[in-house]
Amino acid sequence: MFSISVFLESFSPLFWAARYTLLISVLGIALGLVIGTLVCAARLSPYGWLRRFAMLWVSFLRGVPLLVQLLVFYYTLPVIGLDVPAMVAAVVTVGICASAYISEIWRGAIAALPKGQSEAAVAIGMTPRDIWSRIILPQAFSLSLPALVNELILLVKASSLVSVVGILEVTRASQAQAATTFRPLEVYIAAACIYLAINLCLSALGRYLEHRTAI
Amino acid sequence: MEWSILQQYGPGLLAGFGNTVLCWLLGTIFGMALGLVIALLQRYGSRWMGWIIQVYIEIIRGTPFLVQLFVLYYGGPLVGLRLDALPAGLLGLTIYGSPYFAEIFRSGFRAVSKGQIEAARAIGMTEASIVRRILLPLALVSSLPALVNFSIILTKETVILSIITVPELMYQVQRMSTETFRYLEANLVLALFFWALVEAISNVGRRLEAHVTKHLIERT
Amino acid sequence: MDAASSVEIRKVNKHYGTFHALKDVDLTIPPGKVTCLIGPSGSGKSTLLRCINFLEEYDSGEVRIDGTMIGYEASGKKMSGRKLREMRRSIGMVFQQFNLWPHMTAKENVAEGLLRVRGMSRAEADRRAAEALTKVGLADKMANHPSRLSGGQQQRVAIARAIAMEPRLMLFDEPTSALDPELVGEVLNVMKALAAEGMTMVVVTHEMGFAAHVADQVVFMEKGELVGVDTPDRILHHPQDARIQSFLRTYHERNSF
Repeated sequence: MFSISVFLESFSPLFWAARYTLLISVLGIALGLVIGTLVCAARLSPYGWLRRFAMLWVSFLRGVPLLVQLLVFYYTLPVIGLDVPAMVAAVVTVGICASAYISEIWRGAIAALPKGQSEAAVAIGMTPRDIWSRIILPQAFSLSLPALVNELILLVKASSLVSVVGILEVTRASQAQAATTFRPLEVYIAAACIYLAINLCLSALGRYLEHRTAI
Repeated sequence: MEWSILQQYGPGLLAGFGNTVLCWLLGTIFGMALGLVIALLQRYGSRWMGWIIQVYIEIIRGTPFLVQLFVLYYGGPLVGLRLDALPAGLLGLTIYGSPYFAEIFRSGFRAVSKGQIEAARAIGMTEASIVRRILLPLALVSSLPALVNFSIILTKETVILSIITVPELMYQVQRMSTETFRYLEANLVLALFFWALVEAISNVGRRLEAHVTKHLIERT
Repeated sequence: MDAASSVEIRKVNKHYGTFHALKDVDLTIPPGKVTCLIGPSGSGKSTLLRCINFLEEYDSGEVRIDGTMIGYEASGKKMSGRKLREMRRSIGMVFQQFNLWPHMTAKENVAEGLLRVRGMSRAEADRRAAEALTKVGLADKMANHPSRLSGGQQQRVAIARAIAMEPRLMLFDEPTSALDPELVGEVLNVMKALAAEGMTMVVVTHEMGFAAHVADQVVFMEKGELVGVDTPDRILHHPQDARIQSFLRTYHERNSF
């Protein structure tokens, strides 16, 4: 039977843990944006080797499950001699994984721009650098905002996996809570509610942005 | 690198791979079936049914797969649902995939031109016949790439099943690596097997696509 | 062929939101005759046509086929799906975009209605489908999918699909507007043959030649209203109304060289 009191009492510790969920997601996407932009640039560069490297980067990070990436990072790094705190390892892994998806989001947005845009700029005589920074990138950014918000939502959900490396985000905290209350049903449903709340807000944000940036 | 340990753990790894493929295959099939039912209910059902379905979709898409599995596997017994790890994992995978499949099918339905449905109505076909003979076949064809894409995403989600002790590949690899401390070989095996699985699925998907669209490409 | 149907349209109105698409339309479609609906785009010709088999739901007035109202019961309630389907079985419709089902061959397209709606055996359905396709001159294309057929061939398959159901009334919604000019003739020829057999036909078209030579009655519509109903000779060659004159003048300017 469902115990409302256990359900409600779980929220307090889980709210606390939600800070880490948000921290990892936000830092992760920030890192992902930085690396993703570089990867996208490499993907579109005129140098063949750079393009191929970027393609491998993307296909590898999108092909291997995130959980595997997390454990590789976490367990193999000490073997090499690098001793990083779990939090750093988690954020870096999540960020690097996100960079592959973000690079593709950028690429898609740039490709979606009508070719006529840059053609008109060329016809006026703009330099390639200006065409990129003034015409293509700003528009590609607006176009990709909904997809980026979607990516953030995916990261919030993916952050639940960092529980396996011991970080006390919502999922890990709920496991601990379930162990002490012996009521896993109520606790995990409470955890689900927290994720849902975060993601519903993000979805609303995404819809708002889509509305505002509709060309 | 010590390859002899692969010999020792070979059977276990193979069994794990088998379980991964099993979970993925059944999860995909059942998830698609459930997704199709949901998409049809959304299209032909009443308004309040549409709302209930929308709530279901938002909940499943808004929460992590891992948490859903925890609710099912660890929380389930408290309401009488006592499943072993593997069936729980299968159920979880099915439920997790269903809203995504439903959305794919909805797009597929939208892609079927209104005119073709009208032509069927003009002859006097029943709605059920129209769904069976016109809507579904054509929707499936246009949904095929997205269906294959998402089923590839599902292969990656199967590793999460290891956390609730489903003895799939990741679980076996974890066991091997914690017992032998050979993390490198372990993860290499994992990466290779997933790469092979994804390649195989993409290949089958491409050939399936070519086959079903054979007649639909304009070529007078 | 069974006795051809007649259609009575009385004071029919149709709104799309605030837009008044059909205004108090009165029209009689006599049995066994060809009626052509002409007029500028947006005049409501297609809307009126689609009201006849209730693919568009008219808001007020009556559309009666052989005396029975379609779409609504006498009480004013909407007709049941079953009764509507029953009535539609005797009405054939040909669309501007052909609307052939792309995953089926020509023969399967034609046989589908016979199998699902008339409940024939596969052998019987196949036989009749072959007959219908032969009638429209496509006996050799029966196993082809629509993607392998020209526009004119696809439209002829669509006509075969409609006539295989042995309708008593045929509706054509701009049947040749989506075709390349050189393919228009083959479709019009099939339609002429059908007319010669005594089928009741209602045709929305821009092909004035067809209207002039084949129609028994030409109807001119503009802005949802019936402006003129008369013989082809009177409407097309001696129009009295200024609106019809202006429409035909523009037509001649664009089409003569």
